Amino acid sequence: MKSAPKWVGLLLAVLGAMSASAHVASNSFLNLRIDHNQATGSLEMALRDAELAVGIDSNRDGRITWGEVRSAQELLTQYLRVHLQLTGSEAGCSLQFGALQINERVDGNYLWVPFNAACPTAHQLTISYRVLDEEDPSHRGLLTLTASGMTQTAVLGGNRKVQMFELSHPSVWYAFDEYLQAGMWHIWSGIDHLLFLLSLLLPAVLSRRDNCWVAVPQAKPALFNIIKVVTAFTLAHSITLSLAAFDIIRLPSRLTESIIAASIIVAALNNVFPLVTDARWRIAFAFGLLHGFGFAAVLSEMGLPAGARLISLVAFNLGVEAGQLAVVVAVMPIAYWLRATRFYRRGVMPWGSTAIAGLALVWLIQRAIGR
Amino acid sequence: MEARQFVKQLLGIIVVSGVLCAPLAASPFTPSNDAQVLADLPAGAHHTELAARRLARGRLAVAVPLARFYIEQARSTGDLRFLGYAEAVLQPWVAQAAPVPSALVLEATVQQSRHEFDAALVTLNRSLNARRDDAQAWLTRSTILRVLGRYGEAADACEQFSRWADAALSIICQQGLKGLSGHLNSAYAALAALSSQNMLDAERGWRDAELGEMAVRLGRDSDAEHWFRDDLQLSPRDFYVRAAYADLLLRQHRNAEVFALLKGEESIEPLLLRLAIAQKQQNDPGLGHSTALLEAAFSAESARGEAVHRREQARFLLEVRNNPQAALAVALANWAVQREPDDLLVLVNAAQAASDMQKAAAAIKFAHTQGISDVRLAKLGV
Repeated sequence: MKSAPKWVGLLLAVLGAMSASAHVASNSFLNLRIDHNQATGSLEMALRDAELAVGIDSNRDGRITWGEVRSAQELLTQYLRVHLQLTGSEAGCSLQFGALQINERVDGNYLWVPFNAACPTAHQLTISYRVLDEEDPSHRGLLTLTASGMTQTAVLGGNRKVQMFELSHPSVWYAFDEYLQAGMWHIWSGIDHLLFLLSLLLPAVLSRRDNCWVAVPQAKPALFNIIKVVTAFTLAHSITLSLAAFDIIRLPSRLTESIIAASIIVAALNNVFPLVTDARWRIAFAFGLLHGFGFAAVLSEMGLPAGARLISLVAFNLGVEAGQLAVVVAVMPIAYWLRATRFYRRGVMPWGSTAIAGLALVWLIQRAIGR
Repeated sequence: MEARQFVKQLLGIIVVSGVLCAPLAASPFTPSNDAQVLADLPAGAHHTELAARRLARGRLAVAVPLARFYIEQARSTGDLRFLGYAEAVLQPWVAQAAPVPSALVLEATVQQSRHEFDAALVTLNRSLNARRDDAQAWLTRSTILRVLGRYGEAADACEQFSRWADAALSIICQQGLKGLSGHLNSAYAALAALSSQNMLDAERGWRDAELGEMAVRLGRDSDAEHWFRDDLQLSPRDFYVRAAYADLLLRQHRNAEVFALLKGEESIEPLLLRLAIAQKQQNDPGLGHSTALLEAAFSAESARGEAVHRREQARFLLEVRNNPQAALAVALANWAVQREPDDLLVLVNAAQAASDMQKAAAAIKFAHTQGISDVRLAKLGV
C-alpha cells in the first residue's frame, strides 16, 4: 500500500494554488435607504449566482445574454420576493422591483435590481435574507443601510438570516437640513416656478409710459418692484403650502400643475400685452397660492417626519425662498444693468416673454391632457 | 433673435446649475442589445446542477466526487463560489456524528482555501483519528502547517504522508520544507534531480512550482522562469504559478510580458493585482479601472470579515496606492495568519517604506531562526 491513489495528485495542485487563493467569494450587495416610511434601494447579485438560483441560461449554451436576463426578470423578482423580505415595525413591506441593469465587478457582471417599498418602519426594520441559502452556504449579503442620515453596515445570511436593525430617530437638525436642501433643489430643478417669477420680474427694472417700456431712472423703484413681487409670491405660496402640508386643503395635482403652467403664460404675456403694470404683485400673490400647492405635492411625496413636522415644513419653505432668492440675486442686477438697452426693452421683454409663454403652453397641454 | 438667445442662455444657466447639483450617475448600465453576452458559465455553475446536488445528499458515492469536482473547479477557474458548492454537498456528511473521512478531508481543503487554518486542522484531526492511513489527510495537514510556519510539525505530517504515498511525492513534500529550513541549495538540487518521467501532470506541476519558487529565492531567475513556463504549459490554469511568474517579470521591469501573461485573467484578484502594478509602472490608462475593481473586492472582503487576500491587499496599498502605513498594518495582520516567504517580503517592504522596521522585527527574527533564505529579502538587508 505504498502508492497514493491517483487523485492525490489532483488535490496537490489545489493545495498550492489555494494557499495563494483565488478571488472573491459569493457576495450580494444590498443598498437600502429608509426615508420616512419609504424604502428605496438596490440589490446587486452576480449573474453567476442568479443563474444558480433561478436558471437564466435558458438555451443552456453556458453563456448568459442580456436577452436571457430580460426574459428571466419575472422569475428573478419572484425569487427575490421570497428570499429577501423587509418588515417594518408594524407590517411587512412589499417590494416593488424596477428594471434590471448590469454592473461590472472584479469577478464579472452583476445584476443590479432596484426596488422600493412602502415600509412603515418607525424605529425598527427587520431584514430576512435567504438568497442562495441552500445553494451556496458561503453566500452573504453585504448590507449598507442608511436612515436619518446614519449609515450602518451588516453581513446578511449564513447563521444570521434574520436581523433586526434599530433606526435612529431623525434629529431635528438633520430633518431641517434635509428639507432645506429639498426645497432648494425643488425650486432649481422644476424651473416652472422660476420662470413664473422671472416673467413678473423682467419688467421690474422698467416702467410703462405712453405704451412703451422705459428704463427706471434709479435702482430704488426697481428694487421696490422686485421686493413687492417676491414678497407677495413668497407669502402666497407659504400660506397654501402650510395648509396643504397639514392636510387642511387639498387640490388634485393635475389641476394645480396645469394652473401653474397657465400662470406662467399669463405672467409672460402680460409683458408683451401689458394689462397689469403697476400691481404685478397681485398676479404674484394670486398665482403664488397655486404654486404653493405645487410645492406641497413634492413635500407630500417626501412626507413630514413625525416629531419634526413643523420644523421640516419651515425648512422646506426656507429652502424654496433661498433657492428663488439666489436666482433673483443672480439675474436682476444683469436686468438692471441692461434695462436701458434696446436689446432689453425690445428684445428680452417681448420675445423672451413670448418664448417663456410658448414653453409654458407646451407644459399646459402636457399637464392638462397628458399621462 | 438676440432676445431668444438671452432666454436660451438663461434657461441654459438654470439647466446647467441643475445638472451640476445632481448626484453623479450610478455605474449600472443597460446593455444595448439582447445578444450581448454578460457571463460565461463554467461547468458546474448551471442551475440544473442542483439536481446532482440533491442526489449527493443521500449518497456518499455521489457527494465525494462531486465535491472534489467543485474544488477542482475552484482551482481552475479561480472562482471561490465553487468552494461554497463543495461545502453544500459535504455538509450533511460532515455533520454526521460518526466521522466520514473522505468527506472530512475535502471539507478541510475547503476550509484551508478560505484560510480558516485552525478549523481545517481540527477537521483533519477528526478524520485522522478515524483513519490513520489517509495519505491525502496527512498531506493537507502538512501543507497547512507549512503555511503557518510550523515547519517541524509539517515535516512530521510529511513523514506520515510518506508511509502511504509514492516516493516522488514524498520527496517533493520533504524537500519543499527543507528548502524553507536552512537547506535551500540541497533541496533545490534534490528536486531538480527528480525524474518527472512517471509523474502525473499535476504532480509534475507541483514539483515545478516548488522548483520555481526555490529558484526565485536562490536568485536564479532564469531557472525559475524555466520551471514556471514548464508548469504553465502543463496546467495553464495554475494561477498561483502565473502570479509568481508575473512577480518575477515585474521585478525585471518586463511589463509588456506581464500584460501578455495576464491577458484575459483579470477576473482573478491576485492576477489583477499584478496587472495593476504593471499598469502603474507604465502609466497605463487602464490603471483606474483595475484599481476600482480591486478596491471594491477588498472592501467586500473586509465587510465579510474575511481575510483571504490580505497579502494582495498589502501589496496593493504599498505598490499601487503608495500608502505604506496602511500596507504595513495589513501586512502585519496577514503575517499573524500566514507565514510564507512572500508574506514576509511584503511585510518587510511595507515596514521599510513606512520607516518602521521595528514592526517587522519579530517576523525577521522568525525567518532567521527557521533559516529561511531568500535573495529578495537579502537585498532588503534582511
